[in-house]
Amino acid sequence: MSATPRDVVPVRMVVNGSPVGGSAPARKLLVDFLREDLGLTGTHAGCEQGVCGACTVLIDGQPARSCITLAAQLDGNEVTTVEALSADGELTPMQEAFKQAHALQCGFCTPGFIMTLAGVDPNDYPDDTSIRELLSGNLCRCTGYEHIVAAVRAAWGRTTSQ
Amino acid sequence: MDFLEHQRKLFARPGSGLGDRRPRLEDDRLLTGAGRYVADVSLPGAVSVAFLRSQLAHARVRGIDTEAARALDGVIGVFTAEDLEGVSPVPDFPDPGLARPVGAFPLGRDRVRYVGAPLAAVVAVDRYIAEDAVELIYPDLEPLPTVASMDAALEPDAPVLYDGWPDNLVVDVPADGDSDDAFQRLRTVSGSYRMQRQGAAPMECRGTIANYEDDRLTVWTSTQFPHIARTMLHYVLGIPERDIRVVAPDVGGGFGQKSQVYAEDYVVAWLARHLKRPVRWIEDRYENLVGSVQAREVRIDLEAAVHENGEIEAVRGRIFQDLGSAESFPNGFNPAFVAVGSLTGQYRIQRQHIHVTAVATNKTPAGAYRGFGIPEGCFAMERIVDRIARELDIDPLELRRRITIRPDEVPYTAPSGAEIDSGSHLASLDHVIERGKAALEAIRAEEHPPELRFGLGVATYVEGVAPTYFGTTGHWTAQDACDIRFDPDGGVTVAVGVSAYGQSLRTMVATVTALELGVPIDHVRVVMGDTDSAPYGLGSWGSRSTIVASGAIHRAAGELKDKAARIAAAMLEAAPEDIEFVDGRLHVAGTPDPSVSWGDVAERALIRTHLLPDDVEPGLEIRATYDPPGIEHVPREDGRMNACPTYTNASHAVIVRVDLGTGDVSLVRYIVAHDCGRVLNPNIVDGQIQGGVAQGIGGTLFEEFPYDDGGQPLATSFMDYLIPTSSEVPPMEIEHFESPAPGLPWGAKGAGEAGIIGPAPAIAAGVEDALAEFGIAEITATPITPRVVLEAVRAARGAAVTA
Repeated sequence: MSATPRDVVPVRMVVNGSPVGGSAPARKLLVDFLREDLGLTGTHAGCEQGVCGACTVLIDGQPARSCITLAAQLDGNEVTTVEALSADGELTPMQEAFKQAHALQCGFCTPGFIMTLAGVDPNDYPDDTSIRELLSGNLCRCTGYEHIVAAVRAAWGRTTSQ
Repeated sequence: MDFLEHQRKLFARPGSGLGDRRPRLEDDRLLTGAGRYVADVSLPGAVSVAFLRSQLAHARVRGIDTEAARALDGVIGVFTAEDLEGVSPVPDFPDPGLARPVGAFPLGRDRVRYVGAPLAAVVAVDRYIAEDAVELIYPDLEPLPTVASMDAALEPDAPVLYDGWPDNLVVDVPADGDSDDAFQRLRTVSGSYRMQRQGAAPMECRGTIANYEDDRLTVWTSTQFPHIARTMLHYVLGIPERDIRVVAPDVGGGFGQKSQVYAEDYVVAWLARHLKRPVRWIEDRYENLVGSVQAREVRIDLEAAVHENGEIEAVRGRIFQDLGSAESFPNGFNPAFVAVGSLTGQYRIQRQHIHVTAVATNKTPAGAYRGFGIPEGCFAMERIVDRIARELDIDPLELRRRITIRPDEVPYTAPSGAEIDSGSHLASLDHVIERGKAALEAIRAEEHPPELRFGLGVATYVEGVAPTYFGTTGHWTAQDACDIRFDPDGGVTVAVGVSAYGQSLRTMVATVTALELGVPIDHVRVVMGDTDSAPYGLGSWGSRSTIVASGAIHRAAGELKDKAARIAAAMLEAAPEDIEFVDGRLHVAGTPDPSVSWGDVAERALIRTHLLPDDVEPGLEIRATYDPPGIEHVPREDGRMNACPTYTNASHAVIVRVDLGTGDVSLVRYIVAHDCGRVLNPNIVDGQIQGGVAQGIGGTLFEEFPYDDGGQPLATSFMDYLIPTSSEVPPMEIEHFESPAPGLPWGAKGAGEAGIIGPAPAIAAGVEDALAEFGIAEITATPITPRVVLEAVRAARGAAVTA
């Protein structure tokens, strides 16, 4: 017989390089597991429906929505959150570009943008239009996106808009 | 008082960094996931709240059966209105006679008036179980006839939302006087303009966590104004303000929606005190889209008395605002008054007479949203200017130039009483006209599919900034305050009453403090958002923060420097009036060596006091308040009022692309000429404008909170409520004009709301321009959806055929 949503089930994943073994209710969302059980509060829940992208993490290197993923769905997969990117205390080139370009204001959506960008190949997004399409899966209500596009351009070594 | 010389010195100082694009102090934390938003506040033993919300738009509450919910494993309690012992209705504050009080109570007790109204609160060990329990509560609601629109609310036989009211008018203030003589003499041009219901939708929803320990209440809440939240908690819960501490941690956007204390905040705080344990409630997106305030839903009927050269002598009309349940009081209806106060913008119009009517309907309460009435008034004004241009066969851009106040007319008194102290009204307009025309020409010169059309739209406005609070939540003030405190090591802590939610206020406050005192910016720590450590202030809204914080810091720094000069004078064996402050050091004028540092002075003032001159008290700290000059807090006899110390101005131009096949409107380029006086950091002002423009674009083309005839909300997720993505927002160019506010120490005006005001009228004008070949395809309402565009084309073609 399968578990009911409230039943506690085993949870197994590798988070930011460290194995995590434990248990959680079958219905527990990955975003809640990361935030509440592991204290990784850099991943934010903005809409709980997979629309806004604030909860984006990498699962096995690919951007994924942790608000529509159950913790129990993972089976030894690698999860990377924003906290891992600057573990040595240095901003990544993309984070530094965001800072220099003033590509964040309230900062709530920012980890989601950073994680989306951390999981893609710049060569797949050769111009501004394709960068804007890539970023359209992450909502930002503060910046109007202009400075975010500029930051991505700078981090990817593109000097002018294309 | 004139501060122009002070401003010149500050901005000319070598190495000040003012006017440069400098990175912010906030960003390292926020970029690395180390931000601490309300949901990140973790307290041992905290329990979670979920609310049962009304699924009916209008109903009498006959009872609420909570038995099954209480029995659920993991549930700590279920609370309804009758359990809230000691809780008072939220006070209704404006002038008696202005509006009918509504007496909102935090949980529905006799009636509910919108879908989403909280009826009961479940406390459980976690949110999942709390939501399970909500499903087990059975409210006994008797449906009442629903008032689902403003028009329905105004019907003579409309159901009435409040017992004892003859109708649904919350506010009905006729215009003072009239300008009938002008309308008899001159051509009358009239129009009726509508904006749809929309809202702030910050990426972080609301949330409140409360704890009761050490005989006092601590409340962490995602708010724009912690001190006002504390005052309101005091009014409703009956707890003295000194026994409440309110903390605004990092706040993930506010845009006005969080300048409001909500039912949930009162309930969570009450629960923490009642249960004597930490209680948390984090709003989810559904709750945000039905339970947090919405805005903008107005109809403005306007008439202009116009000379044949297009000059407008007078405007008159009536604004109708849909307040929803009216339970956001008075933030719900105040935008209608602001729309009137800002209506004529930068245009030379002598008289205005506008009747203000605001009605209750069975929808989510209307409240504050960035712009706060100015976008609504600007849309109507700019739309009627375009209609005047058409009726008089004058180029609409030329007409705008003709009726814009010229530099020699500034300072200018608007018919509302607004004293426009400075600005670049004509120059900014000329800039966007020139850039816009060039951009349109370049785009039209390119090859395009045959179904595409392009147009240019322009809009201008004036934004009053740092206004009085005029009675909201019982405050009649524009004041704010700061504490500046030196430590013995020379470090500075500055605590301010403004409160941040993304606008870079930490960077602004540190910059202003460092430059006013002449200390390195990395010696300054900024404290804000905590009522225990910051002096009483009004928080952040109304584009006020830079003005009021810099004003207070300027005053505080002046007094601290006077004291430091007396201490340094004794150390340097000189007279206090001869001490100069350069690069963090104090020396005798003309003699850079010897010098002492601020740290030397602070050490002596704090821990070497036996060395102080006899007439100098120990300590090196100060509190200063600042109430911006020239503000009136209540209207004069003639209804006029200058609510703000200074006025930002801007002009917007947009290049619009219309697809005749689908009716789709997309934007090719957006141009802003913006004047908020002295610009401390153009990166930050650009960011405010770009974000505001994007929200304005959303409100013009995509965002809407529709309701069906039964008052059911039809946009309850981000799949229905469409905020713009990076693909819908066009590249923007921004030019800063800098007309300093002469009466303010830093000359900076507010910039927070400017971006959002221009898009609706500019895009509407651009769509009309793109469709000009079909005759008059007039746009009088937002949102400008594909269907609206196709119908406008059809109507224009039909009219052309009939003619």
